Amino acid sequence: MSSKFQYDLVALVIFALVVAFGVPAVMNYDGFELNTFARYLALAIVSMALSLSWGTAGLLNLGQAATFGMGSYAMAMHLKLRASDGLPDFMGWNNVETLPWLWVPFESLTFTLLAGLLVPAFIGGLIAIFMFRARIAGVFVAIITLAFLVAFQLLFINQQGLTGGQNGLTGLAQMSLFGWTVDPYSMGFYNLVAGCLVVALAFGVYLTHSKFGLILRAIREDADRARFFGYNVASYQTLVFCISAALAGWAGMLYTLVLEFASPTYMSVSFSLAIVIWCAVGGRESVIAAAFGAIVVNMLEGRLSDVFVEGWHLILGVIFVLVVMFMPRGIYGLLSDSVRKIRRIRRTRDQRGVETFPNT
Amino acid sequence: MKRRDFLGSLGAVGTAGMLSTPALLSSAGRAFAQGNDIPVGLLFSLTGAVAVVESTLHDAALMAIEEINASGGIHGRQLRPIIEDPASDPATYADRARRLMIRDKCVSVFGSYTSASRQAVLPVTEQRNNLYWYPTLYEGRECSRNVMYGGAVPNQQQDDLIPWAIENFGPRFYMIGNNYVYPKEENNYCKTLLKQYGGEVVNEEYVPLGHSDFSSVINRIRSEKPDVIFATVVGDSDVAFARQYHAAELDPSKMPVVSLTRSEVEVKAIGGEAAAGHFSSAPYFMGHATAENEKFVEAYKSRYGADQVTHFVSEAAYFQVYQFKAALEKLDPANITPETIRDAAVGLTLNAPQGEVLIDENLHTHLWPKIGQWQTNGQAEVLIESKERVAPKPYAAYPGQSCTGQGLVKA
Amino acid sequence: MDVIANQLFAGLSMASILLMIALGLAIIYGAMGVINLAHGEFVMLGAYATWALQTYAGIGILPALPLVFISVAAVGWIVEKVVVQNLYHRPLDTILATWGIGIILQQAVRLGVGAESRFVKGPALLSGNTEIGPLIMSNYRLFVIVFSMAVLAATWVLMTRTEFGMKLRAVIQNRAISECYGIEAKRVYSITFAYGAGLAGIAGALITPLFSTIPTMGTGLVVDAFLVVIVGGLGSLIGSAAASVLIGEATAIFSIVINDTLGRIAVLAGIILLIRFRPRGLFPTETRR
Repeated sequence: MSSKFQYDLVALVIFALVVAFGVPAVMNYDGFELNTFARYLALAIVSMALSLSWGTAGLLNLGQAATFGMGSYAMAMHLKLRASDGLPDFMGWNNVETLPWLWVPFESLTFTLLAGLLVPAFIGGLIAIFMFRARIAGVFVAIITLAFLVAFQLLFINQQGLTGGQNGLTGLAQMSLFGWTVDPYSMGFYNLVAGCLVVALAFGVYLTHSKFGLILRAIREDADRARFFGYNVASYQTLVFCISAALAGWAGMLYTLVLEFASPTYMSVSFSLAIVIWCAVGGRESVIAAAFGAIVVNMLEGRLSDVFVEGWHLILGVIFVLVVMFMPRGIYGLLSDSVRKIRRIRRTRDQRGVETFPNT
Repeated sequence: MKRRDFLGSLGAVGTAGMLSTPALLSSAGRAFAQGNDIPVGLLFSLTGAVAVVESTLHDAALMAIEEINASGGIHGRQLRPIIEDPASDPATYADRARRLMIRDKCVSVFGSYTSASRQAVLPVTEQRNNLYWYPTLYEGRECSRNVMYGGAVPNQQQDDLIPWAIENFGPRFYMIGNNYVYPKEENNYCKTLLKQYGGEVVNEEYVPLGHSDFSSVINRIRSEKPDVIFATVVGDSDVAFARQYHAAELDPSKMPVVSLTRSEVEVKAIGGEAAAGHFSSAPYFMGHATAENEKFVEAYKSRYGADQVTHFVSEAAYFQVYQFKAALEKLDPANITPETIRDAAVGLTLNAPQGEVLIDENLHTHLWPKIGQWQTNGQAEVLIESKERVAPKPYAAYPGQSCTGQGLVKA
Repeated sequence: MDVIANQLFAGLSMASILLMIALGLAIIYGAMGVINLAHGEFVMLGAYATWALQTYAGIGILPALPLVFISVAAVGWIVEKVVVQNLYHRPLDTILATWGIGIILQQAVRLGVGAESRFVKGPALLSGNTEIGPLIMSNYRLFVIVFSMAVLAATWVLMTRTEFGMKLRAVIQNRAISECYGIEAKRVYSITFAYGAGLAGIAGALITPLFSTIPTMGTGLVVDAFLVVIVGGLGSLIGSAAASVLIGEATAIFSIVINDTLGRIAVLAGIILLIRFRPRGLFPTETRR
C-alpha cells in the first residue's frame, strides 16, 4: 500500500463524512438546500468520471456530456412512461401512434438502471475503439469527441417524436425503488445521491491505484513505450473510456431525479466544457479533487448569481482564467505542492536537529 | 418528520440560522408573504442566447412592479422583486425557480420566453402549487393549473390570419420554422385551417435553433415559388432569415413572409428596410393607439431609452403584473397564497395596452388579434384588427379535447 | 439543375464565411499550437466594432474594415500578452483559458452594450443580385467570396514572402534555435496572435449584414471553424481553404438531398471519419506538436 493510496483513502473517508453528515447539518436539513446540494453531488460524479479518462489516461473527452445525457434520458424515459397512461403526451403531439420499440423495455426499472450504465458504456466504447485503433491521441481525441457530441445532440433534438426534441422530457413521475417513492427534497434522496458519489469515488480511487491505473498513467506519459512493453494500449484506453461513460450515465440518471426533467442542453458543448472546467479547477489527477472541483464551482456559481445578478458570469470567467494560469493542477495541485513543501521544510529541520544533537 | 425537526433545530444552533424551517418539506397550511412586503420572482434570462428577448421582458415586468410600488403598493404593501438570471439554460431555470418558490417564498414568479424553459419550471411549480406567470405566445396543448398564460395560443394568432393570407396572396404556403415543438404545433394548426379554406402546403421545413445560414432555404423558396412564407423562426435565426431574404431580393408584395414570431425587437435588428412589406400576426403592436399603450410606451422609453421598443411579449409581461395586482386587491391580505391568487385572477378584466383582456377559467388570456405590416421605420401598420376579443383554445387543433377550469377534459 | 447550380453557389458562400473565420484560427493554431476557443468572441467583437463605427461615427462596413482589423487585433494582442503567453508549454490548458476569455469578452460586451440584437446596415454598393442564366447570386455574397480569397492570398504572401513570415516559420520549426539567431519568438507570437484575432474581427464585420449581431453569436461559429482547421491540416492555409470549400459545399448539397439538420449531422459524421483516417488533415504540414 503506497502512501499516496493512504492519503487518498483518508481523503475519501473525510469527504464521505462531510458529505453525509456535515453538509446536511449545515444545510439545516432543509429540503430545498438538500436538493440543491444533491444536484452538485450528481455533477461531481460526472466530473470525477472525466478525471478518470483525462487525468489518469490523458484522453480529453469533450463528449462527456453525451454519455451523461444518455443516462439522464434513460431515467427520464422510465419516469415518463410511469407518469403517462399509454402513450407519453409529446408523442401524440408529434403524430406518433404507437409506443416506439426503443421505449418499450424502459417500462422496467431494472432495465432502465442497467441501460443508464451500459448504453453510455457501449456507445463510449464504440467511439473509443473507433479512435484508439487508429492511435488517435491528444487534441484529436478532443476534436472527434466534440464533433460526435454536436452531431449526437442535433440528431437527438431532431428525433422529436422519440425524444421530445428541444423541450426534453418533462412531466415525469417520481421514481419508486422497492416501494420507496423518491422525493427529491427528502433526506433519503440526498443520502442516495451522496451514497452513489461515495461509491463512485471509492471505485475511482481503487481504479487509479490499481495496476490498471498504473498502466493508464504509463500510456498517458508515453503511449509508444507502453506499447513496446507489450501492453495493448488501445484496449486499455477503450476500457477507461467505457468506465468513464458508464459513470457519466449514472450521474445523468441521478441528475434527472434531482431536476425532475431531462433536457437536450445536458448534451450541449457548453455543458461539456463546464465539466472540463470543474475537473480542472479541482485537479484532474485525483478523482476526489475532480469531484470536489465540481461541487466548489457549482456552489460558487450559485452564490455569485445570488449576489451579482448582472455580473456573475463575468466573474466566473475571470476566476477560470486565473485558475488555469496560476493553479495549473487545480486545487489538488496546490494542496499536494504545499504538502510537499511542508515535508521538505520539516525534513531539513529534522536533519538539522540530527546534526546539532551530538554537539550538545 | 419529528426526528428531522429535532435534528433541524440542532443544526440551527450550529449555523447562523440563515435558512429556516423544515416545514418547507410539508406544504400543508403554510402562509405565504408573512412579512410586510410581497415577494415576487422575476425569472428572465439576462445572459445567454435568449437574453436578446428576455431582457426586454424583464425590463417591462420590473417597470410594472416599480410603478405599482410608486403608487402605494397593494393594500399598502410593497412588491419585493427578487431577480434571478437563469442564463438561457433549462437546468438553471429549474434551479432558480426552486430558489424563488421554495427558498424565497415568492407567491408568484414571472418568467421565461421559450417553451423549453417553461417546461423546466413546471415540475417545481406544480409540485409546490405555486403560480408561474408566462407572458409568451406558445403552442398550446398545455393545461396546467399553476401557469397563467398571458400570450396567444395558435387559434388567437391564426384564425384571422390564414383566410386573410389565402385571399390576398394565394393558397400555396411554404412553412419554415425552427426545429422544436412550437413551430410544429403552429404548423399542425395551420394545416387544419388550410384544409378548411382550400390552401395547400408546398414545403414544410425545420432548421435547428440558432441556424444562421438560410441560403439553401432561400434557394428552395425561389424554385418552389410559393404564395406565402409561413414563418415560425425565432430569435436571431429570424433576424438572419429576414436579412438574407431581403439580400436575395425576394419581393414581399409577391411572396410575403407571414410570421407569428417577428415583433418590434426582431425588426429593430433586421432593419426596417429589410423587414418592410412583410407581415406579423400578434395581439399587440407598439404603434397601437390606445391611451393605455401610449402611457406604457412613454414610460418604457423614458425609463430604458428612446431607442427602445415594446412588443407583444413585453406588453404581456407588463400587463400580467397588473393582473397580479388586481387579483391581490380582491384578496384578504392575510390570505395571500398562489392558489388564492389564481382563483381571484380568473374572470378578471384589465385595460391592457392592446385593449381589454380577460383571464379565462383555463388560465389563458382572451386577447385582441391583429395583423400588421412592417414599415421601413421599424413599426407595424395594423391592417386588420379583430372586431371582438378572441377566447384562447389551447387544444384547438385537437377535436375532443379542451382546457377548462377543471383542467384538461377529453370528450 | 438550376437548384443545384444555385446550391453550389450557396455552398461557396458558406465556405467563404467559414474560411474567413477559420483562417485566423488556423494561423494561431498552426504557429503556436494554441486552441483558441475565444476566437468566436473575436468575431463577435468585430461585428460589434462595425456596429459601433456605423452607429456613432457613420462609417460604412467597407471603410470600417481596416479600423475593425486594428481594434480587434489590439484586443488579441492584449489577450496574448496577459494570458496566452504564459501557457505555451501547456497547449491543452489554452482550451480552458481561452474559453474563460471568451466568457469574459461576451459578458463585457453584454454589460457594456446590452443583450439586444444590433442592426448593421449592409453596403448599398453591393446590394442586389447578379444573374447568369438560372444562377442568381447576391452581390454581397459574391463580394465576401472574392474578399476571402484576397485575404487568403495576402496571408500566404505574408507567411512566405516577407521577413516576418520567415521568422514565424523559423520559430514554428524550432523556437530555441531561432532565438539563438536573434529572433524574438515572444514578439513573433504576439504579432501572429494579434493578426489571427484581427482576421476574426474582419470576418465578424463581413457577416453583420447577413447574420444577427448579439453577444453570443461567436459561440456557434468557433466549433465549425475549428473543424475546418483540423480537417485542413494543422496550420496549412491551403488546407483550410480546401476544407472550408469541402464542408461548405457538402453542407449545401446535403441540405437539398436531405434537409438542413440531417445534412449537418452527415457533414459532422464525414468530418469524424476524415479525422480518423487522415488525422493530420488534407494537407499536412510540418508543425510543432
